Amino acid sequence: MAYLTVDGAIKRYGATTALNGVSFSVAKGEFFTLLGPSGCGKTTLLRSIAGFSQLTEGRVDLAGHDLLSVPPHKRDIGMVFQDYAIFPHLTVAENVAFGLKARKVATSEIRGRVAEALATVRLAALADRLPAALSGGQQQRIGIARAMVVKPRLLLMDEPLSNLDAKLRLDLRDEIRAIQRTIGIAAIYVTHDQEEALAISDRICVMDHGCVEQIGTPQQIYGQPATRFVASFVGTMNLLAPAAFGLPEVKGVAQWALRPERLRLAEAGAGAGERGAGNGAASIAGTVEHFSYLGREAHLTVQAQGHRLVAQIGAPPPDLAIEAGRQIRLSFDPADLHGFDAKGRRVQAELAA
Amino acid sequence: MSAIAVGATRRSWRPDFWTLVAVGAWAILIVLLLIPLGLVLVSSFRDESGVLTLANWQRLFGSTRYFNAFINTLIVGFGGLAGALLLGSVMAFCMARIQIAGGRFVSMLAILALVSPPFIGAYSWIVLFGSGGIVRQTLMSWGIFMPPIYGVWGILIVFAFKFYPYVYLLTSGALANVNRSLEEAAENLGLTPFQRVLQISFPLVLPALSAGGLLALIHAIADFGTPRLLGRGFNVLATEAYAAYSAEIGSNLGMATTLSLALILMSMVFVFIQRFMSRKNVYHSNLINRPEKIRLRGFANVAAHAAVYVIALGGAMPAIIAAIYSVRKTNGPVFQPGFGLDSYRRIIATLGDVVMNSLMFSGASVLLIVVIGTLIGCLVARRNTAQTSLLDATLMVPYVMPGIVVGVAFIAAFNTPPLVMTGTAAIIILSVFIRRLPYAVRSSAAALRQVGPSMEEAAISLGYSPVQAFLRVTIPLILPGIIAGAMLSFVTAVNELSSSLVLYVGGTITMPVKIYIAINDGDYGTAASLSTILLVLSAGAIYLAFRLLGRDERALL
Ligand SMILES: Nc1ncnc2c1ncn2[C@@H]1O[C@H](COP(=O)(O)OP(=O)(O)O)[C@@H](O)[C@H]1O
Ligand SMILES: [Mg+2]
Repeated sequence: MAYLTVDGAIKRYGATTALNGVSFSVAKGEFFTLLGPSGCGKTTLLRSIAGFSQLTEGRVDLAGHDLLSVPPHKRDIGMVFQDYAIFPHLTVAENVAFGLKARKVATSEIRGRVAEALATVRLAALADRLPAALSGGQQQRIGIARAMVVKPRLLLMDEPLSNLDAKLRLDLRDEIRAIQRTIGIAAIYVTHDQEEALAISDRICVMDHGCVEQIGTPQQIYGQPATRFVASFVGTMNLLAPAAFGLPEVKGVAQWALRPERLRLAEAGAGAGERGAGNGAASIAGTVEHFSYLGREAHLTVQAQGHRLVAQIGAPPPDLAIEAGRQIRLSFDPADLHGFDAKGRRVQAELAA
Repeated sequence: MSAIAVGATRRSWRPDFWTLVAVGAWAILIVLLLIPLGLVLVSSFRDESGVLTLANWQRLFGSTRYFNAFINTLIVGFGGLAGALLLGSVMAFCMARIQIAGGRFVSMLAILALVSPPFIGAYSWIVLFGSGGIVRQTLMSWGIFMPPIYGVWGILIVFAFKFYPYVYLLTSGALANVNRSLEEAAENLGLTPFQRVLQISFPLVLPALSAGGLLALIHAIADFGTPRLLGRGFNVLATEAYAAYSAEIGSNLGMATTLSLALILMSMVFVFIQRFMSRKNVYHSNLINRPEKIRLRGFANVAAHAAVYVIALGGAMPAIIAAIYSVRKTNGPVFQPGFGLDSYRRIIATLGDVVMNSLMFSGASVLLIVVIGTLIGCLVARRNTAQTSLLDATLMVPYVMPGIVVGVAFIAAFNTPPLVMTGTAAIIILSVFIRRLPYAVRSSAAALRQVGPSMEEAAISLGYSPVQAFLRVTIPLILPGIIAGAMLSFVTAVNELSSSLVLYVGGTITMPVKIYIAINDGDYGTAASLSTILLVLSAGAIYLAFRLLGRDERALL
């Protein structure tokens, strides 16, 4: 059952349209992610839900009640900011207690809840410190504790990890997910990082230019991209011309797309190179342009019949080295192809065998 | 349908406080700035009997007297600029790049030069280098002839030492922030040290140099006390405007306003030229690699120290002389040999109300400046509309208005109904208020931009109303900046002379005005001790401001 619904959200700034009719709904307890390139309107949408900017048109309902007529400070929606927005004049504990004080919670109860929240984000030892000396990761933990401790009806997070370094980003993202599950709160999470979105979300809404491109589980988004935009924004895609490599013509398909990890390296040189490719596999001969070894995977750029293809080789043997200029054969299962029409929309095509 | 409904509900709950602030700001600017300026403009086109005429403007350019004043203003303006640039950049370079013994003491002397009460500077130079000046007499007794300091050269020397801190403080900050890697890169690319300075360092500090120069220029053309005391017939627009206004017989408001307008226009032209020159020259360099101060040896070291100390002591000399003379024994207005507290006793006995006036007027204007300046600053920083930009631009006008002009404009506006304020304390308070308001608006807007809107939004999302969020989050964060700004405003307010000189009556004399009168009457002991009191007050305020803000001399500009 829908807990939060956004219906036909439009936001214009003069001539620019930041949101162009966005609709979706979020269930209770769901972790919902807005994913899209920067400038696609994610922040605008989030701030409209929080009440910091006003939609030009559209409805937002929370738990069956109109949200837009409620002033932001009465919406009871928690927010975690990209720049943390930790109050520098208050201690860590005072920061976390700030929202509880607004709700006139009894002092004794505040103390308990703050301690509990700080323990959850593993900051109990720093309760009496001023935030200025804390690291970015610690500050964002305060931000999360501060937003969660008031048990808001909805939690909004606008790229909360984008100012942190890579290692910290991984740790904190798992923590955020774990905390959200424990509390059972509905959360909308904004990111432009597709890997982060896939890892953390129950469902993802991919946006571009103020429009929804696709809403679905991470598996759906990655495995069955609804548009060519989603296909290339989430992960990498090799784009192939409709008749390339002897692929059969399928009505309506203007372009094929293939994930790099679906391209397999068929041992070149041997005449029976297609043997490992299995039933109905298509095969491509090409010249290696570039090879990079990344440890748990290796990337191979191959020039073949006017296409530049990227293949990803999982768990490459440590002695794997392919010099540029070498002739090579790649193979793939046509069932792994995604077909898109001239407008970039997915075409359901049965290609196997 | 929903769009309209949303808009309507939104407006019904958000208190339109900021709209009220905008209305209030405009009301203040209209009453205290635009109407007085408009009346100045009108009055410059009327003769004594109120008939429309171009006679005043014809006299400005037609009569040799006023034309000379116009030229002389340009001379002292550019002369003061040149002197300030020379002394200021030498000082800045030495202090930023060379190890100078007693550096903190030197920068304290620069601050002292900056806050020396007006008039006392010129007076102290006369004490040392005037016809009967101590230094001059001593040299003459050794058979070395030295001309007295009067006339245009005297004015230029005083201006150079008085206004160099503007250039010094801004430029040394910029020089200390030029990334050393840039200079090293230039060296690495084969530039000679001289080419390096000219092609790398100079363009990088040019914005600071020109901003400091502009301040020196504007203050030089607005300065009234120095030409008045040292000029001896060398008149400038500011002194002529005051003379036209204050002449016992045939006081000529029309001529005073015309001269004032010429002065404002001149200041504005220079502001725009400076803006135009430095429009693109804003460089942001990262401070990973700050320049190091080098240690000089031998003659070069002695020369650098000599330059720095001559400039610093020259600038602070008036304040030092005032402090020394304030504790000389006096008999009436005449100095006696030996030291004593006679002058201070006299102040306590007879001039208590003058000191009280100064403190009360400055306190009141600072209060107004802080409260209203902060509100307008928040408005300008948070609401970025055409209307607030216009407000910000209009606030540039008092920034370039010489004190004499504000005084004359207030007389023109508030001498007749509907609003009669001449002779009241209010008119002096308001004149200081309107002149200093732009600084407060700028500094609070800058402080607020540092805080960023997400702090307040965080508080709102946690359940505080916008007004509560502002009070509980934003205000505590910008409070140190506001108080520091208030202290600095107090320094200017308590030292303000030229507009009060036009606006004061017997009951509203302030310390700077009394210093002016005392010097004119030859009562130097009183002048020196009042100046010393002013210095102590200013120093206290600056100390407080630095405690709150962190030490940053540039905040004083
Ligand atoms: N206050 C504003 N005024 C004008 N345009 C804006 C404003 N805020 C956002 N925009 C525009 O709206 C679009 C969406 O912005 P935003 O929601 O911040 O994108 P995202 O968060 O996805 O990067 C952008 O093109 C941006 O330039
Ligand atoms: Mg954004």
